[in-house]
Amino acid sequence: MRVILLYIIAIGLIWVGVLESAFSSAHSLDHHSNAESIESQLSICRILAVGFVGGGVVLKMISNDSHRVISKGNEKPQAQTITSPKILSKS
Amino acid sequence: MLSIKSWVQSRGNHFITQFESTSQKLILMFLLAGISYGATGLGAMLLMTLLANSQLGKEASSKHGISALESSRLGGLAVAIVILVYTLGFSLISPYTPGPVRDEAFLYLWCAIFFCCALGFAEDVKPDFLTPTLRLAAKFLVMAALFWLSPKFIPSSVGVSVIDALITLPVLGWVLVTIFAVGFINALNMADGANGLVPGIAVASFGVFFMEYGRPMDGALLFAFTIFFIFNVISGWYFLGDAGSYGLGAILLGYGLLGVAEGTFSAGFMAAMYCYPCVDFLVSVIRRWRAGRSPFSADNGHLHNRLHQFIRCRVSSPVIANSLTGLVISVLTAGFVLMMYLLDALPPDSNLWSLVFAVEVALYFATLAYLTSIQPKTQYTDPL
Repeated sequence: MRVILLYIIAIGLIWVGVLESAFSSAHSLDHHSNAESIESQLSICRILAVGFVGGGVVLKMISNDSHRVISKGNEKPQAQTITSPKILSKS
Repeated sequence: MLSIKSWVQSRGNHFITQFESTSQKLILMFLLAGISYGATGLGAMLLMTLLANSQLGKEASSKHGISALESSRLGGLAVAIVILVYTLGFSLISPYTPGPVRDEAFLYLWCAIFFCCALGFAEDVKPDFLTPTLRLAAKFLVMAALFWLSPKFIPSSVGVSVIDALITLPVLGWVLVTIFAVGFINALNMADGANGLVPGIAVASFGVFFMEYGRPMDGALLFAFTIFFIFNVISGWYFLGDAGSYGLGAILLGYGLLGVAEGTFSAGFMAAMYCYPCVDFLVSVIRRWRAGRSPFSADNGHLHNRLHQFIRCRVSSPVIANSLTGLVISVLTAGFVLMMYLLDALPPDSNLWSLVFAVEVALYFATLAYLTSIQPKTQYTDPL
């Protein structure tokens, strides 16, 4: 029983990173329409959730997504090229 | 001078004694995972610790390479669970579409990866469940199907005119790439003998892929293999097993071939990155063939076996000796390539990477020749 609880805790902790990377991505695109000025400083919250290396990984994912959205211009973006639900719905 | 030497020795022994304790190892592992990947890293580390302590897939130390501990063969399963949890979660709560859903080539590649993992997993759970010939034939079949269905994985040029002329011929190119693919997957499985060796190569490779493409899947792979690398190097309780090494081999192969075919990376870059498993595999096959044995029979003649013996005579802890062996090799090969990439010393599509590969090969043979000259012969060439 204790082992099962520990497995649940482990998967729950991994989900913290999933949520952080997904919402950081969406938040960043919603607040920076030109997407060039992506937040470069790591917040305490992000460091706790995904750490120093993970923070860099999340930033890279955000910047990669933003560049793809910009390069698409006003074209209808493909689902895989953006991570912001709002931008997806706008298109 | 003598007192300084004895002080260093006593501190070294003290460190080794501390390092051997399970609780100290756990603290160090969780600390590094927490610093590098925060709560997510702690979760992945906890998952790996729980799986390493389960009875499934346990193997005696004598059965696997240079390991001196009873280890778990389920490293591949642990990594796969971490990647699956992350990717599934990310796909569910963001509009990210994983590669296999949006691109047919990635779908075929991941099907091949899954098949290779399943083939290895059967062996991890029940050793000798499939005969070596059957496994080899299955790998040939899967890789042949992958390159037949998705020819975009076959590079049109690798920078060597003779090979370029051969691989551009439709059927011959397909046959050659299939043989190379099966050889590469076996090479990675053969190199999975020292802590941190194969995971180190994986971390460097996924680091480069992620920095080049920025795909979330590469990020997930980098995350899972970094945590596994920390776990593997510090504790030595895990190795990738057949599932992990076959699966990782198929992923590195697919991504590497695609990178070369698309012109993002030169063939020399990939050769320098994957130098150790490929060269060691070829040298081992030739050594066994010359001794009149099966090319795939196990022995202790690998460079990592000899290097481990060399380090073991100087370091009392078996885990530290094992981890140092893996770290030295992975840092000097894939780690060096990663460092040059980070420093922007050479563009990844430059053919000058072939020179780096040539230096690595020269270093391999020089080290092998030196270790062979100072170590007894039969201990390393006799079959296990």
